Amino acid sequence: MSRTARLVRDVTATLRANAQRSALMMAGMAVAVGVLATVIIIGQGTRAEILATVQKHGLDMIMVRAGGDVQVFAPRADRGLASLMEEDAQAIRTVPHVTLVSPVQNQRGITVVGGERSVVTRAFGVGVDWMEIRRWGISDGDFLSREDEAGMARVAMLGAGVARALFPDGGAVGSAVRVNGDPYTVKGVFVEMGASAGGDDWDDRIVVPYTTATRRLLNRPYLEQIVLRVSDARRVDAVAEQIRGVLRVRHNIAPGTPDDFFVREPEDVEGAALETSNTLTALLIGIALVALLAGGIVIMNLMLLAVSQRTHEIGLRRAVGARRGDITTQFLVEALLVALGGGVLGIGLALIATAVIQAMALAPVAITPLPFIAALAACTLLGVSFGLPPARRAAAVDPATSLRERRL
Amino acid sequence: MSITPVIEVRELSRTYRKNGHETPVLRGVSFAIGRGEFVAITGASGSGKSTLMNILGLLDQPDGGEYRLDGQDVSHADDDARADLRNRHIGFVFQQFHLMDRVSALENVMLPLLYAVEELADGEARARRALETVGLGHRVGHRPGELSGGEQQRVAIARALINDPALVLADEPTGNLDATNGAEILTLLRALKAQGRTIVLVTHDPAVAAQADRVLAMRDGQLAPAAG
Repeated sequence: MSRTARLVRDVTATLRANAQRSALMMAGMAVAVGVLATVIIIGQGTRAEILATVQKHGLDMIMVRAGGDVQVFAPRADRGLASLMEEDAQAIRTVPHVTLVSPVQNQRGITVVGGERSVVTRAFGVGVDWMEIRRWGISDGDFLSREDEAGMARVAMLGAGVARALFPDGGAVGSAVRVNGDPYTVKGVFVEMGASAGGDDWDDRIVVPYTTATRRLLNRPYLEQIVLRVSDARRVDAVAEQIRGVLRVRHNIAPGTPDDFFVREPEDVEGAALETSNTLTALLIGIALVALLAGGIVIMNLMLLAVSQRTHEIGLRRAVGARRGDITTQFLVEALLVALGGGVLGIGLALIATAVIQAMALAPVAITPLPFIAALAACTLLGVSFGLPPARRAAAVDPATSLRERRL
Repeated sequence: MSITPVIEVRELSRTYRKNGHETPVLRGVSFAIGRGEFVAITGASGSGKSTLMNILGLLDQPDGGEYRLDGQDVSHADDDARADLRNRHIGFVFQQFHLMDRVSALENVMLPLLYAVEELADGEARARRALETVGLGHRVGHRPGELSGGEQQRVAIARALINDPALVLADEPTGNLDATNGAEILTLLRALKAQGRTIVLVTHDPAVAAQADRVLAMRDGQLAPAAG
């Protein structure tokens, strides 16, 4: 057995012999670690739940519509209808925290013929990132590619309803269709998306590259919309404001004049919830860290007390051959073992607390390795840093003096 | 004779400095102790005998002079080296016994093995033998609190013997014992001397010192001439 292993074994014997003191030192640590780990578990759970909400409701998506506020009341108004251009989409791409951008054109009354059947539907021209921004899914085939976009390819995606109407027996992907008379190839079919809150049937549409729409199908340069994804749902407000500024400059809108576009943000309720939960988590982690600090101070003080009570023993150990470093090692190991022991107990407490919280549905929880790594890292750090002063004091004990002092 | 003495000191000096005051406690002490000798160091309190004992035990360092332990110059050994030398070459016996109350006699005797530079495979067997040597073979599992004062001091002597040291340093070993137990400890030390151990006994008690082969009397930081 190496010298260090012998020293560690001796420390564990000391801790066992002083079980009560050891338990007392661990208790404070255990409570603090328990609180810390539980807070992180709840924090992670809340985060996961909010993230799921964000994904479900597209809370990280911003939609820029052509036409300004007036369009809400008069969607057919000429004013501003031609206000959004592809260059605006390029400009929006450079705004910080904007991750994905897609131009959107759309037109009703498009005739699509497949074999002997035909439908009149709505055509959308979109960019390759559109599907990820909108979080749509594909049931068959592939989405539009960059090559399709660059080459103004005559390819189309079919909404689930359109695919059902034209190809009731399936086999839509790869088939030839005619869109307003021109030949297109079906590249993929969307999953059933249902209807929007406003009553639009999301399955009743076809989607083509916006380049194809601009130059061939619709033959007009202006866009109805630009949709984009923000890296963090909490930044939506700030990003929307920046986009407004960028577009006003690009459109030469004088101060005091209303926008000729409209930036629609997602409902901000969930974003506020996310922020509140972050604040609460930070507060609780702060409390847990104070508790950890208190636990560390308890360990330090009990060990300082032990050093003065064990001065004779330390002197004796030095006399029989302990180097100063051995004494430092032993006291540091003692502090570390106590802190880690408290940490492990604390993790147990956190798991019990988590089970209770889950059973009573008090808060969302998510068990990840993070709280356990954080707890053990905190214990190691505290064990070493608060063990150091007692270890130093112990190593400084002068054997000659301590051995001659009377005991008791 | 070319036999190396166990202890050889020449012109040892030691001065304590505190608050700008200098107090010389050792002022040129020279002597040698041969292998198998039983020597007592005596002197009144303040005579420098404790300081001399600390230096001989490598718990303190001289300011000047030379100390050879078992032929090796240890005057300038650093702290770690002195710890290793104490472990390997010196067995301590204290007035206060200094046993650990929470562990058995056997474990107390084994304590120096914990800090040995190289671990011994037969540590426990050695500890049992050491306890037998001091007549406590039947008490290995007892804790210090369950033993009499004389027995406790014998456990301490067994601990001093565990690493087969060149030198046993006993500091007032009978100071905390009644006359009977004290006499037993002195008999034990004499028996160890008979087995070839080198023993240095520090005491203020002339009657105890008289048990040794030779007495070095300290007075005022120096050896009193022509003593013993």
